[in-house]
This record gives sequence, C-alpha cells and structure tokens, in this order.
Amino acid sequence: MSTPGPARPVALSLAHVSKAFGAVQALHDVSVECREGEIHALVGENGSGKSTLLGIASGFLAPDEGVVEIAGARLRRPSPARARRLGLGIAYQDYSHVLDLTVAENLYLALPPKDRPPHRRAERWAKETIAPFELGIAVDATIGTLSLAERQLLEVVKALLPRPKVLLLDEPTTALGPDAVGKLQALVLEQARAGVAIVYVSHRLPEVLSVADRVTVLRDGVGQGTFDAESVSEEKLIALMIGRPLEVAFPDRPAPDAEAEVLLSVSGLRGERFGPVDLAVRKGEIVGLAGAEGNGQVQFLRALAGVERATGTSSCDGRELDTRTPLGPLRAGVVLLSGDRRGEALFPVLSVRANATVQVLRRLARLGVVGRRRERGAIRGLAARLRVRMASPEQPIQSLSGGNQQKVSLMRPFLRGDVKVILAEEPTQGVDVGARFDIYEALRAKTREGVAAVVKSSDPIELAGLCDRVIVMSRGRIVEEIPGDELGERRIVEAIVGSKRTVSSAHGSAA
Amino acid sequence: MRRGWLPLALMTALIVALGAYTQAHHSEFLGKLNLNSLLLEAMPLVIVSLGQVCALLVGGFDVSVAALMTMCVVTASFTLTPTMSGAGLIPGALALVGVGMATGIFNAFLIRVLKLPSIVATLGTLSVLQGASLALRAYPTGPVNTDVTNVLNSSVSFVPYAFIGVVALALFADLWLYRTRGGLALRAVGLDATSSRRLGMSAGRIIFLAFVACSVLASIAGFYLTAEVQIGSPIIGNQALESIAAAVLGGASLAGGRGSFFGALLAAFFLTEIDNVLPLFQQPAEYADMTIGILILLALVLYQAPELIARARNARRRVAPVPATTSEASA
Repeated sequence: MSTPGPARPVALSLAHVSKAFGAVQALHDVSVECREGEIHALVGENGSGKSTLLGIASGFLAPDEGVVEIAGARLRRPSPARARRLGLGIAYQDYSHVLDLTVAENLYLALPPKDRPPHRRAERWAKETIAPFELGIAVDATIGTLSLAERQLLEVVKALLPRPKVLLLDEPTTALGPDAVGKLQALVLEQARAGVAIVYVSHRLPEVLSVADRVTVLRDGVGQGTFDAESVSEEKLIALMIGRPLEVAFPDRPAPDAEAEVLLSVSGLRGERFGPVDLAVRKGEIVGLAGAEGNGQVQFLRALAGVERATGTSSCDGRELDTRTPLGPLRAGVVLLSGDRRGEALFPVLSVRANATVQVLRRLARLGVVGRRRERGAIRGLAARLRVRMASPEQPIQSLSGGNQQKVSLMRPFLRGDVKVILAEEPTQGVDVGARFDIYEALRAKTREGVAAVVKSSDPIELAGLCDRVIVMSRGRIVEEIPGDELGERRIVEAIVGSKRTVSSAHGSAA
Repeated sequence: MRRGWLPLALMTALIVALGAYTQAHHSEFLGKLNLNSLLLEAMPLVIVSLGQVCALLVGGFDVSVAALMTMCVVTASFTLTPTMSGAGLIPGALALVGVGMATGIFNAFLIRVLKLPSIVATLGTLSVLQGASLALRAYPTGPVNTDVTNVLNSSVSFVPYAFIGVVALALFADLWLYRTRGGLALRAVGLDATSSRRLGMSAGRIIFLAFVACSVLASIAGFYLTAEVQIGSPIIGNQALESIAAAVLGGASLAGGRGSFFGALLAAFFLTEIDNVLPLFQQPAEYADMTIGILILLALVLYQAPELIARARNARRRVAPVPATTSEASA
C-alpha cells in the first residue's frame, strides 16, 4: 500500500458531477478527487452510479453538470479520444477489444497514433510489449479465441500502454481466478508507485481494501463520503452502501415446506460465464439469485430457459429439460420473463391483448380462427386481478408504463395454466413503486398454486423481501446460500461484496 | 489472412475457366478486339465496386451509386459538349467529380449526423438523383464530347490505360488496408465501432470518409459509363446491386471490417465476362442474372464455411470451467 504525501497534486478531479438518463438520475452532485500515486477505490451497489461516473471521467459520457479535470486540464466537449490525450487510460468492464483482430493489432490500436511503431513492426513490438506482463498469450491470436480472463488482463495492459497519468479500472477482476487477481493487484501497486493516479471500481470489498489508499462510497448516484482505507471498517462501508428506506411492502411468505417435491433440478450446468451450478427448487418456492452484475447470474437463468448454450443436466418435474432451444423449456412449462422487455419479451407495437395471449392462441382458437371475444374474456379478469392500468386491451403495449408492461408479460404464465417454473430476470426493473407490489403479489400467487420461481435481481431489498431463500453467485458459481430466516438486505450485500464473515461461511457451503 | 485469399483464388479460377471454355468454342473471344471491348465494358462496374468496398468495410451499403453514375452521364451531356476542346473540358470534368463529392457528403451526413441506416439513406439519395436526372434529360439526348471518350478509351495494345490504373489502385488500396495503420483503423471501426471509439479512434470521421470515397469512386465510374453510352441518357443501370455482388464475391463481409479491393475488381470483371460471353452462346441475358445470383449464394456459403466451423469449435471450447473461487474463500 502506498501512502501518498498530502502535497501530491490531484491528477483526476470530478467536481459536482450530475447525469440523468431520461427520468433516472444516475448521478447527483458527485465529487471525487484522485491524487498522483493514489489508489482510490470506488464502491457501491449495482446501479449506484459507479460505471456512469467512470464513463464521465473517461469522456464516453458527457455530464449534465459538473467539471472533469485530468492532469490539471479541463475536459471540454468530452470524447474518449480527448480524455486519452489528456492522459487518461481506462480498462472497461466489458472491454474495448475488437474481437476479430489479433492481440497485436488490438494493442497497436491502443497506442496513441504518434507513439505507434511502423505497422510492419507491429507484431514484434506487441510481443516485446506484453512479454514483461508474463501473460502467456500469443500476439498473433485473434482476441475472440482468448478466454475471458485473458481478455480482461489484456484490457488492463491496453489501458497502460499509452502510459496514462490517470488509470480507471472498472471491475477489473470479474473473470479472474485468484492467481490472476494477485498478479493484477501487483501491477496496480507498481503503477501507483510510479505516480499513476488509479481509480479502482469493484464490488469486492476485501479485494479493493487490500490495495486502496482511500475509498469513496456511492449510493443511488449520491456520494456518501471519502475515507482512508486503513481507518474505515468493512461494516461501515456496507452500512453506507445500503440503507435505502424500505419503500415497498412485500406479500406474506408462507412457512417453508421442506417436504414439497422438487420441481426444478439442475446438476452440473455450465455455460459461458457460469458453472458448474447445482440447484434444486421446490414447489411453491421463490429462490432469489443475487450477485454483482456480470458474475453469470443472467447467463445461468437464460441457459435454463434454453436461450443460451450450456452443458450439464436440468430437469423439470422429473423430466429432463431439452435446453438446446427455447422451445424445450417452454413446452416443459419453464417460462422466462426476460429482463429485456422491449427487445425480447414484448411486441411493442401490438396490443395488450395480443401480447398477453400470444402463447395460448391455440387454446383460444376454434377451427384455427382466434376469437377476439374469447381472447378478451381470457384476459379481462386477469388484468383486473394484476391491476394492469390501461385504457383498453387494444392499446399498443408500448404506450403503457414499464410496470404495466411487465404485468402484461406476467399474464402469460397465468393464462397458460400448465406453467411449472417461472424464471424472472429483474422483474421490477424500471417499474414504479406502486406497481412493484402487484408484481410481487402476482409471483407469490402463482407459487401458491404450486409453481416454482427463480428471481434474478440486482436489488437486495427486493430479494430479501420476496424470496424464500437467496443464492449468491460469484465468478459464475454459487458461493453462498442464504436461508429464509437470515434474509435481509445487509446479509445479501455482505455476501455479494464477499466480506470476511460471509466468505468463511461460503467456504463451508461451496466445498 | 488465409481466409482472405480464398475469394481471390476462386475469382481468378472462374475468370480463367470461363475464358478458356469460351475460347475453345469461339476462337474470336481472346482476340485483341474483343478483349479490349471486354475490359472497357468492365470499367464502370470495376470502379464502382471499389467504392462499394469502402462502404461495406464500415458496415454499410451504398445503393445510390447507379443513380449517381447516371447523374454523372447526364451532367456530362451538359458540361462536356462536342463543341468544347482542350483545357475547356477540365471544368466540365471536375463538375462530375463535384457531383460525386456532393452526393457522398450528403449520404455521409444522413448516415453519421442524422443516424439513418445506410441502406435507407442511400435509397433516398437514389430517388433524389433519379428525379434530378429525369428533370435534366427526360429522354436520351445530348451527345458527349468525343475527345473525352477517346481519352478514356485509349489503350496500349488491347489493354486500356485506365484498366492498368485501376488494377494498380486496387492493389495499393489492399496494401494500405492490410499493411498500414490507417487501414487497420478502418477495419477496426468496421468490425466494432464501440470498441474503436473507446480506443480513441474517430469512428464517425472514418465512416464519413468511407461514404464520400464510395461516391467519388462512383462518379469516376460515371466517366466510363459516359464513354460507353456517349449520350445524356437518364436510364439507370443495375450497378448498385452488381457492385455489392462484386464486393461480396471478392471477399467483403456484409457485417463490415472485411474485404478486398482487388477481390472486388476480379469479381466485377468476372460478372462483366459473363455478360460478354452469353451472347456468344446465343443464351438470353436473363441467364446472366440467374447465374450471378446462384454464384453469389454459393460463394457466400463457401467463404463462410471456415468461419462457421471455427465458431462451432469455439462454442464448444467456450463452455469451459470458469476459474475457481475457492482461494478467494480462503483468503
């Protein structure tokens, strides 16, 4: 750990920065300073504004208000190219590689044009450049053929190539194993000793605290203060990260029934970014899926629905699931509520009626002709029960609010009647508070009828309130299971950030 | 790179095979006269195909090129009239390039600034140019200066000078594309615009320039179309689709970032060869369209085979264990 003297100049300054995306205020009057040679950790829950802040610092996003200064110069008319010219390097969480080009070509493009060697020497130059990092990667390999861990390390190497004065690392270890994490941290400390100002964003508190000099906490886009890493405790940081007022009520949780039959059973399932995962979900149970973004939760859920490739076995109600295409799980009664409502779940220009009944048209049809009256009859009661607020069932669904759109996609499992498992991905994202309870209530009502549900959410309050138990994923694996009587926002956040107490208990359950 | 040679080899083989077969049945095919007319006939499509490669490399299309070429022909019937001579022809020639430049900037503006999909933007431009051509010349009239067409068609032995120039241009362009930093930047932007922007490249400017280059090349193709029709004809040919076909047969990817100028040149020449040969066998011209269509489909499957195989292999490889988390737990 380096201890910069108080006199060291500020290399990166973000002053009173605000940014809104539509109606969502992602950042509100946030100020952060990072001095030369300092490692400054930026921590916060999913959606607290960390990535937005980095986007603004790197010139990729323009702030609505506030000033960015890199190495003493103000970043005007922000663009990544301008920020780089001022001396900023960034390793993106989702990388900046051109996958179809080789490692050498990608490294070459990461250099500022004036520093590039002649093109014909690019490959040799690349080989010499990455040799000290000891990555064991062939420079003539196409990036697309590398593992995610190799890509992630290369992303950091690329950020360092222009010899930046300020280095931003956005979740640089999500795909890394323990050895690689150690290697990366050694690299980061070495850069800090050389005088580089480093902003290190991560949700893994022990990991960032072991290298950081100072820590800034963000919550819901608002800065919660900056602290010396040595003097602040993990407990205090976690308390600052959470603590939103409880604004939603949740439906009552039935008593757990350990005797209920297992409806969904997963064994050794693995796919891109996750696995192997074992899981059993009982009839009537809602299991929460927690974890920092990008740790395989989404891929796991989608693989179960047959939307992403996976190997391993899973079964529903005793029959093996064919997850090669989405059709297999659908026929077996496994329904995915996609988090990408506009892109995947709904037909935005079609009516509420058409969106609700699209999976059950055969049942509503006579002699192959769908009766509009039968359709309306099927959804009328349900729309009232789920409290869908709409002017008419013929209204295009895109004119409804996000919450009401989600309710309509929830009508589908209700209409089908033969649904056994509901896989919900961020069921209340972009949904107003009023509609949230209706969605929770609908999910609970469905499980009371004997359905099993898996809910992936980045909101720990939601998981704690809605679920019977919560499993926590990290780096693609289940690292902890939190039983119903322990559920609470704090408990879930602790598990996600991997604080010491929960990590040791994870050791027991993961073994 | 291995993948890059396949289209060049295939096009060369097809050109030679078709030529040899035709020669075996019609000995006049390889005669100087026919070769010269074949090469001149190929010029407009060859040049516009090089332009189309620029648009495809940044992941776009330009369907306005044929209308632009016709606009150039119509413009030439006003600016390069038979009464002009010598240096007086230069402003008239520049007018054609100016039309190309203006069209290119207009297209690039629609695509980059108004963020229209390139196919929609250039479709709009196509209609505008078509209307303008018809407004200027409602029917084919207005002969073009023969000094100009003679210069354009001048040849050494049976090879037009312009053809030598275009071959050199295509080879240089390929060398630039695969052996220089500028070419690398262009390919990177075509393959992944977001990553390129993050790496500090001005993706917007590169896309802008690619569409301007496409239109300027199309206006130069317009010169050779003028030399062919020699009169202000507002009739639009099908060079837009044929140039896309040539670029793709020559190895360009519809997804952007991949392509070969020389490959497009060979393919454009081959497409012209088919058109040239069919009448010799008393075959109707419709067969040319069908042959070209089938060839494009076959070529696409063939070119993508290595990629598809590699992807299938990767997909199997990707499903590999994620690094263990056990030592994080023991930390």
